[in-house]
Amino acid sequence: MIFSLNFKSGLPVYLQVVDQVKAAAASGALKPGEALPFIRPLAEELRVNRNTIAKAYTELESQGVIETIPGKGCFLAANHSPLKKDARRKLLIRDIDQAVVQAHHLQVPPDEFLDLVRDRLEVLAERQRHHDQPREPQSTPA
Amino acid sequence: MNTPPVTPVIDIQNLSHAYGRADAVHDFSLTVPAGRCYGLFGRNGAGKTTTMKCLLSLLRPKHGTVRLFGLDPAKHEVAVKRRLAYVPDQVAFYPWMTVRETLDYLASFRTHWNKETERALLDRFRLDPAQKTGGLSKGQRTQVALVGAICPEPELLVLDEPTSGLDPIVRREFIETVIGAYQEGDPGNRTILVSTHLITEFEGLIDEFTIMDAGRAVVHLGADEARAKYQKIRVRFAETPPKLDLPGALQVKSSGRELELVVNGGGPEMMERLRALSPESLTSEALTLEEIFVATLKT
Repeated sequence: MIFSLNFKSGLPVYLQVVDQVKAAAASGALKPGEALPFIRPLAEELRVNRNTIAKAYTELESQGVIETIPGKGCFLAANHSPLKKDARRKLLIRDIDQAVVQAHHLQVPPDEFLDLVRDRLEVLAERQRHHDQPREPQSTPA
Repeated sequence: MNTPPVTPVIDIQNLSHAYGRADAVHDFSLTVPAGRCYGLFGRNGAGKTTTMKCLLSLLRPKHGTVRLFGLDPAKHEVAVKRRLAYVPDQVAFYPWMTVRETLDYLASFRTHWNKETERALLDRFRLDPAQKTGGLSKGQRTQVALVGAICPEPELLVLDEPTSGLDPIVRREFIETVIGAYQEGDPGNRTILVSTHLITEFEGLIDEFTIMDAGRAVVHLGADEARAKYQKIRVRFAETPPKLDLPGALQVKSSGRELELVVNGGGPEMMERLRALSPESLTSEALTLEEIFVATLKT
């Protein structure tokens, strides 16, 4: 997967890496069992401190998003439903707040904003249907 | 959790040094724990090199104390220097020696030298071991110096303006090498002190930094913390606004209906205050470390 960092977002760099892995997992860009880049080449490529990437991976592992296999690297967890409900909501609320503020600045009234959200949900659901068709159900050992 | 106090790798307390009458460094303190990458930012003549030279006991402090690994570098010079490596801004080698001879010469002062790293780096930099160092470009000389600094796998790497005067490709490779070849070995025990005014390039590497000006520490912050604190706010009103009283703004630029300000902390409160004036648009973004540097020294 390809990462891109933004030093102007005001978000700690390691959190940006964490968020991008989660987003990739949620969107299917990263599939269960798929490998994440190794720490050293990723740190070199992004030109960030090696410890920043290590910290991000440790955080992802402690949240159950990824698994480390010693000597092999890090992989998206097979039974990937890592986030507790309120953790997921928290993540979302941050983005929703931003959109709400932005809507206010652009003078989009609340009901129009909600209509737009419904629209987008439909568009993305449609895309997801296309995306999911060829995939077979995963069987995970208990 | 009770962990025993860990000796910081670098501990400078109230350091002062003067070349003539005026202090080049004045009452300067700095602590760097193991495993961190610490940036020392300042304009030319701010006192960065003087600080580093006091650290390496190339200069004697007038006041204050300097400790490396808990030791006084003036008293335990060998014990301290075997654990660190230094890349100065001007690299000089014996011009009649080849790259190979130069590295062997550097290795002869070291108890440990990673041959494999040496080979990988010579490859990466496309350096010819048989070439005389007198014929190397400035970039290649810096690369040889970096190879010489990384192969002993020191606990501390001191870099004084390492990339100034180098082309962008060499600068990139330099930083990638510091991240990859140096940090990889034993990340918890690989400490970096880097002075630079090419801040953008080191942005992702720096954990913590001090901005120096006229020999004094002006700002000392963690990099993530700094980017969260310093914000640039842009606001546009429907009509030219009345004169606004904006205490806490470091820099204010205005042009017609638009206003741009920089705050150091208190960003949300400032946004709230501006929002109350019902602007047409209101946005904010974090400052990069370089912008923080400029904002700090211009006010």
